[in-house]
Amino acid sequence: MGGGLDRPSMDLAELAWLIPSLSFVAFFLIVLFGRFLPGQGAFVAILAIAAGFAMFWVVLGGFLGAECPDSFGQKTCTFNREWFTAGSVVLSWGIIIDPLTVVMLGLVTLVALMVQVYSLGYMHGESRFGWYFAVHALFVASMLALVLADNFLLLYVVWELVGVCSYLLIGFWYERRSAAEAAKKAFITTRIGDVGLLLGILLLFKEVGTFDMSTTFAAVSAGEIGEGTLTAAALLLFLGAMGKSAQFPFHVWLPDAMEGPTPVSALIHAATMVVAGVYLVARAFPIFEAAPDALIVVAAIGLITALMGATMALVVTDLKRILAYSTISHLGLMMLSLGAFGYTAAIFHHLAHGFSKALLFLGAGSVMHSMNNETDINKMGGLRRVMPITTLTFTVGALSLAGIPIFAGFWSKDEVLLAVLDHKNYLLAFALIAAFLSAMYMARALYVVFYGELKAENNHVHESPWVMLAPMAVLAVLAVIFGFVAIRITEAGGIGTFLFFNYPHGFEFNTGLGVGSIILAVGAFVLGWYIYMARRISLGPWKVRFAAAIRVVGNKYYLDDLYQWGVDRVVMAFSRFVALFDRVVINDKAVNGPGESVRRSGLNLRYHVTGRMYNYAMGMAVGAVAIAILWWVLTTST
Amino acid sequence: MPETNLTSNLHLLLPEFLLATLAFAVFAIDLLLPANRKKLLAWVSVAGLIGLLALALALLWGENEEMYGGLIKVDSYALFFKSFFILLGIFIILSSVDYVGKHLSHPGEYYGLILFSVLAMNVMAASREILTAYVALELMSFSFYIMVSYARYNPRSNEAGIKYVLIGAFSSAILLFGISMLYSTIGVTHFADISATLANAGDASPALWVGLALILVGLGFKVAAVPFHMWAPDVYQGAPLPVTAYLAVGSKAAAFALMLRLFAEAFMPSIDDWQIIVAIIAAITMTVGNLVAIAQHNIKRLLAYSSIGQVGFLLVGIAALSETSPLASNGVMLHIVGYSFTNLAVFVGIIAFFNMTGKEEIADFSGLADRHPFLAAAMAIGMFSLAGLPFFAGFTTKFYLFTAAANEGLLWLAGLAIVNSLISLYYYQVEIRHMYIQPAPDMEGKLEPASAHNPHPPPVGGGAEDASRHSPTPLIIGVLILMVLGTFFVGVYPFPIVEALDAATSAILPGAGS
Amino acid sequence: MPLEAFQVLSAALFCIGLYGVLARRSAVLILMSIELMLNAVNINLIAAAAHMDQTAFTGQIIAIFVITVAAAEVGLALAIILRIFRNRSTVNVDEVDLMKW
Repeated sequence: MGGGLDRPSMDLAELAWLIPSLSFVAFFLIVLFGRFLPGQGAFVAILAIAAGFAMFWVVLGGFLGAECPDSFGQKTCTFNREWFTAGSVVLSWGIIIDPLTVVMLGLVTLVALMVQVYSLGYMHGESRFGWYFAVHALFVASMLALVLADNFLLLYVVWELVGVCSYLLIGFWYERRSAAEAAKKAFITTRIGDVGLLLGILLLFKEVGTFDMSTTFAAVSAGEIGEGTLTAAALLLFLGAMGKSAQFPFHVWLPDAMEGPTPVSALIHAATMVVAGVYLVARAFPIFEAAPDALIVVAAIGLITALMGATMALVVTDLKRILAYSTISHLGLMMLSLGAFGYTAAIFHHLAHGFSKALLFLGAGSVMHSMNNETDINKMGGLRRVMPITTLTFTVGALSLAGIPIFAGFWSKDEVLLAVLDHKNYLLAFALIAAFLSAMYMARALYVVFYGELKAENNHVHESPWVMLAPMAVLAVLAVIFGFVAIRITEAGGIGTFLFFNYPHGFEFNTGLGVGSIILAVGAFVLGWYIYMARRISLGPWKVRFAAAIRVVGNKYYLDDLYQWGVDRVVMAFSRFVALFDRVVINDKAVNGPGESVRRSGLNLRYHVTGRMYNYAMGMAVGAVAIAILWWVLTTST
Repeated sequence: MPETNLTSNLHLLLPEFLLATLAFAVFAIDLLLPANRKKLLAWVSVAGLIGLLALALALLWGENEEMYGGLIKVDSYALFFKSFFILLGIFIILSSVDYVGKHLSHPGEYYGLILFSVLAMNVMAASREILTAYVALELMSFSFYIMVSYARYNPRSNEAGIKYVLIGAFSSAILLFGISMLYSTIGVTHFADISATLANAGDASPALWVGLALILVGLGFKVAAVPFHMWAPDVYQGAPLPVTAYLAVGSKAAAFALMLRLFAEAFMPSIDDWQIIVAIIAAITMTVGNLVAIAQHNIKRLLAYSSIGQVGFLLVGIAALSETSPLASNGVMLHIVGYSFTNLAVFVGIIAFFNMTGKEEIADFSGLADRHPFLAAAMAIGMFSLAGLPFFAGFTTKFYLFTAAANEGLLWLAGLAIVNSLISLYYYQVEIRHMYIQPAPDMEGKLEPASAHNPHPPPVGGGAEDASRHSPTPLIIGVLILMVLGTFFVGVYPFPIVEALDAATSAILPGAGS
Repeated sequence: MPLEAFQVLSAALFCIGLYGVLARRSAVLILMSIELMLNAVNINLIAAAAHMDQTAFTGQIIAIFVITVAAAEVGLALAIILRIFRNRSTVNVDEVDLMKW
């Protein structure tokens, strides 16, 4: 089965399955034999991902040379083998290779490689050094498998695995209560979305009888599935994407995930985890395209997320959290772009953002590494004097993310805005606001942390070791040149001629929009200069005037509190209530101090409360009568 | 009733006859053994079961014959469950050895009763007639009544026993009344005849529906479906630990083996009438089970409620049965297999822990990962699997089940089941956090007398098993490893099992053959 | 006599037994009430068998099995009740409530 040819002439691309496999093997090697290896086996993970990165070029070459059929306009190679047949269900494990997969492979392997090299320095001296690299390898491997999966079943499996790995890595310092809590939060929150994803997959399975993506998409474009069902399926899939990609209202886990080691944040934000949601929507785009109502929801959620993230990034003072909210905001932009049919723009922005954000996190990690894990930006300042290379690379990342011309983020953001202008022009103003805010908070972080006066207590701060700086340098170079690469990737034109949906398009530059966004971005930096550097503009009066609004934003729109309240008061209360009902118990002591009070009551038997059998028998009898009545009603009514 | 030569194919029941013989032999050997050699009984039972498994596979492979005029059918469905139950018996006996040696008297009867219950389960999966099924069910229940109250001087065990036996008898009466209603309206008791009658019934009498409903209630008790579940937490908590494990896995699997055949072979024609009822019971069962589990503090009660939740998942499969698709039937059986491995991994871990410390509150597991990393890891794997994380059995089997439900149009039920998996992840995660993150509650001195400060503590309750207070015995570690491997196996490569399941399904649902 | 008469008798007996199970507090009396329920089953079975299946005796056979199983059940339950009485000096199920929650 499967839509593509089973044995294309060029087999090099098929070797792509090796890329995740290498890291999987690395995981098992480190877990099983890590303790016998030098450096707890960290080099195994790095070798695996380095080999994976090398393989990426082989796969790219193989893919460019391969002769594969077109699917939705794009060359799409699928390689699968029937694995198992259960009744009418045929399961095949296979991989899909199309431009989307190829660019994702490149991004993930490159960023993961940089982050792992960087971790050598950052995690140095950690007692669970080997375990860190093992889970890291597993994380990367699952993400790579995710972008390669050619059926929803495999996709869901590795999707869950990505969640498990993030749980392990965010909670890496599980001795810290906050880290354990953050890990739990990330895990549970994203899994709420996964409920939707799984349901969506099951719904599609019910309609087409297979988990295979190509077959499903073919059925969709052939109009075999009703529009209502398609919209439902698309929304359910999007629910999964919302969880993983930290879209409103599931974004709450991402800032807390900062409790993990900083390189993990870099990985989560640039190459794995949050990327999965955007990838999923892009991958399932045939379904979304056929369900325009769902796309409107995607765009709306994306926009809300973008604005919410950007405003929160403006008020927090924790460097890592600024970056986290910035990620939320940019993920929102990507979703908005997808919602506006900007398939290419979303992925392009995703790549540019990936390089820039990884760079920024590594920079933040470098600062924290030197400053004793300090993350409050108000305690920093003027670090450019003591950390010149970090400052330089961080500046590049910030400028790129802010959309300053020539940097990668500028080109990609422009594409996103263009897509919004073309298909959802009524949202353009909001998108521009988000872009402006994005430049604003980057300016704030940059000025406050690296420029200005060096605080006296920070005199001892020194530059990080080269093993951390080298990856940052590589990413910085990419953040500068990637935009040019992407706008002229082939003879024909920009990335839009390589990676597209249905029809290719060259790089477009809308002069008005471009100039407008440049003005906004540069204006934000100038404004930021006046506020944070020259201090000509005082925020004081504004802070007073908008105190209420700032409090709302600063408290994360009270969403966390709402959820906490929901869990504490609603879920737990419901659980207790059901338990109460379950046992017809009135004894509060038994509720709160269970073991002890029960034991104390012991043979005294003064508690005339529960455990009484006739309660059970009564429950059963009532249940039996209820079932008989229900049955009676149902059978007679039909 | 057709006239048949009742002895022509009697050899097909040889495994059952030999199993009964083995059980009596264990009783007999028990009389001859001195008190300190009783462990031999476990080895005799295990060796006997292994031999029986080999015999059953060699003798019955590919057989498809009715016996006693259709009372019992020896087919691939029966063979599948026979192998499953025998293996289960082996593992239960192996994980009981340490516990029985330490906490229980009269090991001979204990092992003999396990053998009898295995026999009963085998017959339950093979019977195609209601009375036969009922008698087998009672044999199994009787064995469990005794085993639950086996710790004679432990008031909790007594209490569990009295609750179990009284409520059990009560539910048996309800089940029997249902059977009598069924019989008095349609006059047949063979599954095939019931099916034929139902197919022609059209607008059947309400007495028939009441009968079917009461049968459902009786079976609901046996599997602890809500609202017939209240005995389960008490009984689980009071019973000796290996018995709890056996109860959670064995009695449920057997009841579902019976239920699956009954619903597939007898009640299938009227599925439109009962599907929604079973679906509602499934929905209530898993929701209540998982929600109440959150509030538990005792690990056995937690697992009791969690297994009630699992029953809800299995009922989803029953509700999704279909004459044309093997998915649901396969899914139920696959979930039983995966759930057994998984649950046993958790229970064996708890047994090992209890053997060392004598504690079973969730808080007592704090810091386990530091002291016994393997134990903690195995239990964590089991719990992750119960919660349905990928690469573990729970994921694969649940996915299979939910697919079946979605395929039959029960998407809302599948959705609810997925939400319930999410809830279950929450409370397993709490337990895992205890094992890995919470510091051990002042373990030095209190629980483990032989700490660095006091290397030679006075023996507590008999110094013979002092060594086992500090580390689990190799035997129990071995069983644990097997269970964990099984959990991975079902999770990653379930296909050999699914192939066997396909054959089993085609035996009970001929139209669903693949 | 019509079959319905027996069915009504049986249902009434069953309900009396059911009431006993729910209302009684002594384990022994609960057990006796369950016996009543089982006797209701037997009446139902034998009446049905006599009415419609006069050659095969299925109903009677089931009834004999029910009686046998019930006897065994009572033996077993009484043994456990005895055990409880030895340990706790009571057979009142209200007082057997060590485990809750």
